[in-house]
Amino acid sequence: MMRRVWLNLRLFLQGALLSYIGLFAWLRPATYLASKIVMPLAQILFFTFMGISATGQSNAHFYIIGNAVQIAAVSGIYGVTMSVGGDRWAGTLPYLLGTPANRLAMFSGRAFFHVIDGITGVLIALGWGVVLLGLDLTRTDPLALALTILITTFSTSGLGLLLGCISLVSLETMFVNNTAYFLLLIFSGANIQVSTMPGWMQAISQVLPLTRGIAAARRVIAGDSLAQVAPLLVGEVLLGGLYVLVGYSLFRWFEYQGKRRGTLWGF
Amino acid sequence: MNLQAVRMSARVVVAAAEVTLRQNIVDAFVLFTILLQPLVIAVLAMWMLGGRGSENAIFVVIGSGMTGLWSSLLFMGGNSINWERWTGTLELLVGQPSHMSLIVFGKNLAVVLQSLGSMLASYALAAAFFQAPLHIAQPLLFGVSLVLMVISFVCFGLVIAPIFLMNPQVRHWQNAMEFPIYMLSGFLFPIALLPGWTTPLSYLLTPYWAARALHGTSGGTASSSETLLCWGMMILLAVVYAFVSRWLMDVMLRKARADATLRME
Amino acid sequence: MSAIEVTNLRRVFKTTIGVLRRRAKEVVAVDDISFEVEPGELFGLLGPNGAGKTTTVKMLTTLLLPTSGMARVLGHDVARQAEAIRHRIGFIFGGERGLYWRLSAVDNLRYFASLYQVDPEVTNRRIPELLEMVGLADRCKERVEGYSRGMMQRLHVARTLLHDPELLFLDEPTIGLDPVGARELRQTIRNLQAAGKTILLTTHYMFEADALCQRIAVINHGRIVAMDTPEVLKREVRDLSVVELEVFGIPPAVVDRLRALPYVDTVSIENLDQRQSLRVQTPRGAEAVPDLMGMLEGLRVGRVVVREPTLEDAYVRLVGGEA
Repeated sequence: MMRRVWLNLRLFLQGALLSYIGLFAWLRPATYLASKIVMPLAQILFFTFMGISATGQSNAHFYIIGNAVQIAAVSGIYGVTMSVGGDRWAGTLPYLLGTPANRLAMFSGRAFFHVIDGITGVLIALGWGVVLLGLDLTRTDPLALALTILITTFSTSGLGLLLGCISLVSLETMFVNNTAYFLLLIFSGANIQVSTMPGWMQAISQVLPLTRGIAAARRVIAGDSLAQVAPLLVGEVLLGGLYVLVGYSLFRWFEYQGKRRGTLWGF
Repeated sequence: MNLQAVRMSARVVVAAAEVTLRQNIVDAFVLFTILLQPLVIAVLAMWMLGGRGSENAIFVVIGSGMTGLWSSLLFMGGNSINWERWTGTLELLVGQPSHMSLIVFGKNLAVVLQSLGSMLASYALAAAFFQAPLHIAQPLLFGVSLVLMVISFVCFGLVIAPIFLMNPQVRHWQNAMEFPIYMLSGFLFPIALLPGWTTPLSYLLTPYWAARALHGTSGGTASSSETLLCWGMMILLAVVYAFVSRWLMDVMLRKARADATLRME
Repeated sequence: MSAIEVTNLRRVFKTTIGVLRRRAKEVVAVDDISFEVEPGELFGLLGPNGAGKTTTVKMLTTLLLPTSGMARVLGHDVARQAEAIRHRIGFIFGGERGLYWRLSAVDNLRYFASLYQVDPEVTNRRIPELLEMVGLADRCKERVEGYSRGMMQRLHVARTLLHDPELLFLDEPTIGLDPVGARELRQTIRNLQAAGKTILLTTHYMFEADALCQRIAVINHGRIVAMDTPEVLKREVRDLSVVELEVFGIPPAVVDRLRALPYVDTVSIENLDQRQSLRVQTPRGAEAVPDLMGMLEGLRVGRVVVREPTLEDAYVRLVGGEA
């Protein structure tokens, strides 16, 4: 039993390391700078200014926080789907699936690094908010905020895992990713109050990651305690876990179908 | 430059444009950039700015349409060189006698014309959302502004292309170049909101003048002298971009030949 | 005036190794080569993979700048006067790349015709002629992505002739073609030369160079190791005989020992399915056979043939037995 745990843990760590190396093999400092530091800033500035032009300076924090936390989706979606989908392009998928290794441990390991990457992104984005746009963090409980960010990044990674599995069978990975990212801009409440959306849109918001996370982040920064946002955070964690489970099941189903129909090699 | 040479050049431009259009029409990425992304931005903009009333509708339509235009030019115009490198046709394009600038001009023309479709899409969306007729105040002036916008955007793309030709890694900066241009060009909010030191940067960008002209003529808020100023700047900048790009292209081509980056190894 | 004039041409590539701490490394692909090609000649550049043939051709077709040295094509410098050269030459690097897959053959040709500034009337006449010549007329409206490799290669040939260039660069044109297709292409190349075109051909097939070329430059590791007509090159190995032994899985150590023998010039191995053909060049000819068999004791040996050297053997000798 202990051996099992140990094996899975090792798989997990190997996956994480692989992801790390894969990410940094092609990465140059300039690229990291562009995607981790400049792009989030650009996004926050754009939507915040647009928001200010509509509703005035006093509401700036709404847009700043919304977009800052939404940045988690960059790592969660693009990072994770590339990790998962990367196997297909590298042609290693059939080999992987030929092993008795625990798939969940394998893929969670890969996602792990991107969760860390995502947290970094959100922190940098919030930093920009403080430095450039006067975001006020004085009433924030640091632990609550940290937990919120961690949980939100986890749940977006869950979505990423699901999207990654879809990308295994569809050719248009970037289309799927881009669409998901941009739709999240609408439905997560990053730029629009969820309560002002029509009913059907609210329903969609509630089943997507980020929605509760962003709401919790706004409240925590406004001064709420951890206990007060706990329901939101619990919901976010559960949702993330659900996505991971669905993604995993989908992956197992694809694997089964692939083996049955002999399409693994033809991916 | 004699007539024969002009006709030959025009033929090259048209050929490049046609080939680009034919290939893009079925590309999912293209569809996303032209349709989906501007639509999402249009929805967001309409929501966020919609409180100001339906006169705002045309502003949002033009603004979000222009975000689509810029993103298309940035990604497809920029990626087209890399894509030629990936398919192995870049060498063939460099090794033939027509100047690369003509080919890039043709490609950009195709991309810009295609993405005018995004402006149409946001027009349709806004019409549905606001349930009010969308009305262009000065249609003739708007039309001229549109034509000048196409030409100046294409020329702006001529400057971007050689930079992407030089270094395949520049691709990673593409994402970071979308939103800043949206802001500096005042697509969806006035640049007065930005710090003062960015204003000269805006003035150097043809998208800024295009947006100003299109917003002004559609909303009827621009005086004729202001519209003429915008037109003048678009023409001036187009000429400047054309000259600078020609020089840049020659420099970059030389560098690519020296560094052997015309082909992926 | 020569069609191609190359003097002390050199090309060095800089690469980096490593991820976090990148170190620079220099690779000399073409190392101080010189040769001339006369108008109307069919000149061959022959060498193993990685010898520098393609790099040389890329420099001559203005796609790559030389690191040092000089090259003139049709009287113009390749580095400084590239534009003057481009409409008078055609080149093929072949393979599946270099074509627009989502377009048909006709569309591809039309596009390149415009780029090469061929008159529209001429284009309309020439495209069907060329498609007929390369045997693609019946499938010319299909998208290229459905073509076989041979068909794509033939389309390349058609493409490069659109503007009727006087000088052609063909980089390994028959590689990947089936024997029939390759033979047809060689005939086409002969016809083109008969029509007065100058052709520079690169290949690693010795028999191809022998069959087609009037003069051959043998290139290895970026240097020209020999340059002459095929007949003269064959005389290079006149003094040698070739002992050809059929072996089955010979250990490298034994091959090295054979090479070390004083009367052995070169040893090369060709793998043919399960068998290997061991070719030993030695002036002793048939007399060497007993000794060689002794060295191969314990190993299974099939047929043994002693024969006259061919151009292929001259080539092997020139490139030091690595072919």
